[in-house]
Amino acid sequence: MKYSDYPVEEIIRRARLGRRAIYPLILKYGRFSIHGLNIFTENKRFHDLDDIILVPPQFTPRRLKKAIELATREPVFFDVNTKSMIGGFEVDLPIVQSSMGSQDDWNRVAVYAAIACAKAGIICGIGENVSSTWGYDKRKKADQPCFMERALAFLENSKCGGLVIQQNEEEAFDELWNKIYSDKRFDRYIQDGRIGFEIKAGQGAKPGLGGEKIVDRNQALALKQKYYIYPDPEKIESSYYERHSSPDIFTEEILEYRIRKLKNDYPRVKVWVKTGPFRDLEKVFEICSKAGADCLVIDGKEGGTGMSPTVALKDLGLPLIACFIIIRKARQKGFNLPVVVSGRLYNGSHLVKALALGANGIAMGRPFLLSAYAYRFSSFVISKELYKNPFIGFLIDHFFRPNKSSVNFVENFIESVRIEAQMLTSALGKYDLNELAKEDLATLNENLARALGVNYIYEPIS
Amino acid sequence: MYSKVEQQFKFPEPKDYADDIFKIVSNPLMQKIYKIYDLVSSYIREFLNKEGFQEYKAVIIGPVTDPGIRGAKQVSIDYYGREYKIMSSAILYKQLLSIANKSAGGSGKIYFFADNIRLEPLETASTDRHLAEFIQVDLEIFGADHHEAMNVAERLLSYVIERVKSREELKEIWNYFEPYRLSRGLKSRKSLKEFNPPFKRYTHKEAVDFLADYLSSHKEILDEMKKLFGYKPKELSYSSEIPWEYEWLMSYLHSEPFFIHDYPRGSRGFYDREYPDKLGLLMDFDLLYPEGYGEAASGAAREYELSKVVQRMKETGEKLEKYAWYLDFLKKYSAPTAGFGIGLERLVRYICGLPSIYLSIPTPKIPGVYSP
Repeated sequence: MKYSDYPVEEIIRRARLGRRAIYPLILKYGRFSIHGLNIFTENKRFHDLDDIILVPPQFTPRRLKKAIELATREPVFFDVNTKSMIGGFEVDLPIVQSSMGSQDDWNRVAVYAAIACAKAGIICGIGENVSSTWGYDKRKKADQPCFMERALAFLENSKCGGLVIQQNEEEAFDELWNKIYSDKRFDRYIQDGRIGFEIKAGQGAKPGLGGEKIVDRNQALALKQKYYIYPDPEKIESSYYERHSSPDIFTEEILEYRIRKLKNDYPRVKVWVKTGPFRDLEKVFEICSKAGADCLVIDGKEGGTGMSPTVALKDLGLPLIACFIIIRKARQKGFNLPVVVSGRLYNGSHLVKALALGANGIAMGRPFLLSAYAYRFSSFVISKELYKNPFIGFLIDHFFRPNKSSVNFVENFIESVRIEAQMLTSALGKYDLNELAKEDLATLNENLARALGVNYIYEPIS
Repeated sequence: MYSKVEQQFKFPEPKDYADDIFKIVSNPLMQKIYKIYDLVSSYIREFLNKEGFQEYKAVIIGPVTDPGIRGAKQVSIDYYGREYKIMSSAILYKQLLSIANKSAGGSGKIYFFADNIRLEPLETASTDRHLAEFIQVDLEIFGADHHEAMNVAERLLSYVIERVKSREELKEIWNYFEPYRLSRGLKSRKSLKEFNPPFKRYTHKEAVDFLADYLSSHKEILDEMKKLFGYKPKELSYSSEIPWEYEWLMSYLHSEPFFIHDYPRGSRGFYDREYPDKLGLLMDFDLLYPEGYGEAASGAAREYELSKVVQRMKETGEKLEKYAWYLDFLKKYSAPTAGFGIGLERLVRYICGLPSIYLSIPTPKIPGVYSP
């Protein structure tokens, strides 16, 4: 395919597209956009959770204990307790649906995913820009749910878990959190402690950068007051505008007092902090603990892709495995702050490994997006290749709109992760996800073993 | 004596305003309250003019308003295609006018009777002292610090009480509402006593100590607070604002007004100045009424150095562009000022001994209640 090992195609693409060439080609896979797909097969230069395996023991005193507890039968995998507490919320399974925001394809199905999260008893995040892009409680566009629909879809269907809501600088313009805090429709849930506000201090694939999005001219004109738009839609007519948001500014002091101010202003909500794979993550950990945040969500560079420039996906930020090393250091210092991690996690093994490495839960983004669109992939509908045909693709989009079946698909996905996690945990001789620990792991790499404080498979395990 | 009045007139509930507002506001007893409101307004003006303050017409809308309000929502309007806010406080304009007045050779002492709109959290409906629409007398003093502002606040309050306390209308109002006060956590009221400044000044830390001390020997009060407010009291903390439930308690346990000053940073907006030599503490204060009526006024020395304001704005997650005019003004003309805002309806509520604040004006907007 390639002309040579010199990046001829890349340079030509830059020459032809200019600033548009810095973003990866968006794959309209199944006719919805999903980001950050091939970056790691092409550029993987670091370890990940695949370098760790699970090592069950022969002797399982906890299985005996569980049998005595059950009294009448042998313990099996479905006896593994998955209930837990994360960041002030009770959950049936320690999973968080990442705070994905206003992206068109996601927003269209986010309501169904929220219902699935509610039914599964997990935590549901709502990312930034939803209210300012699609409306607070009235739709700005007929086929796009507004913020309130997404929020209530979760709250009205859930018995446990929580709803975590981001507000970025641009939304501070609209006072989103104040709106929620004084809204009758949320009052009951605020009283019950089911709402969290999440400070966005970073994002996986583009730590240190703000949000990027492509918008049309009408949107560009409407958003001009709150965002940086290029080119200026009032001066230049174009079919395509870049909408940039600023990355926000933090110093140690600013982060500390932002948490304190949030706790002060909204005493009835949980305070979450979402950060990215920064080199000074340990300090973030320390400040969040000290200032009394309820939870820290860490995106490894594999996660939080959104619309990131190619170089950011490739070169910006620490891989998730390195974040675990920092979590370990922070835990050693005695910080018990609950931590949720994310970045290309999508199965029960990832959940088990992350918990054993000291996280309290995992967050996932793209799996929810893909699952919600799974209805488009049923075998009788049409093959992948035909989907790419603009005319046929359009027809399918038209006749197969997002619908309630998405709820089932997302539930199925979560269920598969839960069963896997239960099986693996029971194999390790444990009957509660909260009991997973480093002893259950071994790594394939000696350096990694040392850095994580985990056994190396080629050395005798004591 | 009050039972006689009671037969003729039923004390209005918030929802009654929507049914027949005329019947309520035309009632002679209610009109007596509105008369006191009128008098109090004129006594405040009288006092401030004597002290050399100049009144300016209050600002109603602007590109930005005070963000430092606990969980209350602001109201936006479409102003020729741009989003403008209805003032939740005139604070940014007070600084502007105080400095401008001084630089033109004036006293630098200015005030507004400022209309404020704050869509407060619904939990405030049970505090009996929050309205979504209210007036605060908002004043600012050039070159002053928070202690000088406190001096003005205690003189102002004492002056108004002295002028109004012997009004005939008051006795009838006090008597009528006497049976309702106890259940609202207010002390009995037979007269208004004269106040003698200086009022007691607690630091925030001393106030939290005072409350923690009291709680340790009076655990039963927590149940009473829960009954009064309809929810479990929040946690008391040295690093955040004193919750309304505890402000009530502290107020209830005092028979004279008092100040709480030096709040921890993180509990107030970016405009409350941090002590340059006591990091983490703010040069600010609240004035509280005695007898359970709670907060009267809130004030501070202003953070006026651009670099500090920018840092503090980021702590509240604000976007700098939103405050462009204000930051540009600080960059070019900034100078130290201090001031406070005293809620007019709350003052009338205290003077009249009203069980709840909505009784102090004819067209109250109680958070979450739809009324004319």
